[in-house]
Amino acid sequence: MSNWLQTMPTAEAYGLNKVLFELHHKADDLTAYRDDPEAYLDRYDLTPRARAAVRGNDVAELYLVGANPYLLRAHCIGMRIPEAESLAALRGAGKKEDHHG
Amino acid sequence: MAEIVAIHATSHTPVMLNFPDAIPAAQRDEIFSSLKDLGAALAAARPEAIVVLSDDHVHNFFLNNLPALCIGAAESYPTPVEHWLKAEKRVLPGDARLGAYLLTSALESGFDPALSMELTLDHGVLTPLELAGVARTTPIVPILINCVQPPLPAMRRCYDFGVWLGQALRAYPDLERVAILATGGISHDLATPRMGMVNEKFDLELLDLLETGSPDEVVAYAKDHVHEAGNGAEEIRMWIAAMGAANGGRFHRRYYRAVSDWYTGIGMGHWDVA
Repeated sequence: MSNWLQTMPTAEAYGLNKVLFELHHKADDLTAYRDDPEAYLDRYDLTPRARAAVRGNDVAELYLVGANPYLLRAHCIGMRIPEAESLAALRGAGKKEDHHG
Repeated sequence: MAEIVAIHATSHTPVMLNFPDAIPAAQRDEIFSSLKDLGAALAAARPEAIVVLSDDHVHNFFLNNLPALCIGAAESYPTPVEHWLKAEKRVLPGDARLGAYLLTSALESGFDPALSMELTLDHGVLTPLELAGVARTTPIVPILINCVQPPLPAMRRCYDFGVWLGQALRAYPDLERVAILATGGISHDLATPRMGMVNEKFDLELLDLLETGSPDEVVAYAKDHVHEAGNGAEEIRMWIAAMGAANGGRFHRRYYRAVSDWYTGIGMGHWDVA
């Protein structure tokens, strides 16, 4: 059992975390993302899996790709993903992984 | 030479401000009342500056440059950095001179903290100061320990840093009265399949050890069991640093309750200062 899915972020997770970080820290990014998510995501070097996870608000996949928990939490709140939905998705992700939780 | 006039520790969570009504009113009032009492005790000690041991929740620092340890040396700190936190925007006064002294002294003593002269502080610092009623009244020096993204600094290193911090503060020539507030923990787990888990057993054993065990036992317990208590429990590094600064002073718990609807084991306590 570990508190962390990745004890060192993968390159894929770095790219994902960069999007989550900038969305919630750069002044105009959240608006730009909401206006045109595809164009916004084109700015980043994301794997197809990471991009699909962000685009689909797929909390389970965001977790499994390696979103930092604080960035993922902020993203769920910032995108107004219902709490029950994100909790259920995380529980589901726990069943998919084999070495955590 | 400065005297350390108070050393307190408390949990923090943004949920305290964002969803205070997620728990029964009586329980919430009990927690807020304990935080007020903590603030009153801190204020009664009349510190001229408060060193706030906390962590940056990936706001000021990102994976492109993530210090294990950072000392703030700014004259003021805007807060909160979270656009989603339900808190009044305010500017906390900083003690830049004390921050610079601590940074310089740390480097001379074999610790290697990062310097920051511009931090927009998050709920980790703001929530306890706000709810304790001491935000804005006393200049602060934030010391941020990475508890949020591995690789993390070792528990033992955080204790050693705390021991050094206590010595450095006591040797500080420019103030007479300083306090320490450690914020974070105890058990909680965010944005993982275990989210919502509060490990009451871990929390109570840790508090018991803080009260009756040796620093070595606390450090060993934290190191060996933190993964049973969730990613948020990594924040006990701040409690461990405060324990080091207390220089053997006895710990007293002020409050504990496992608050699963706030996702957190809420604990508070303080150390005797000689």
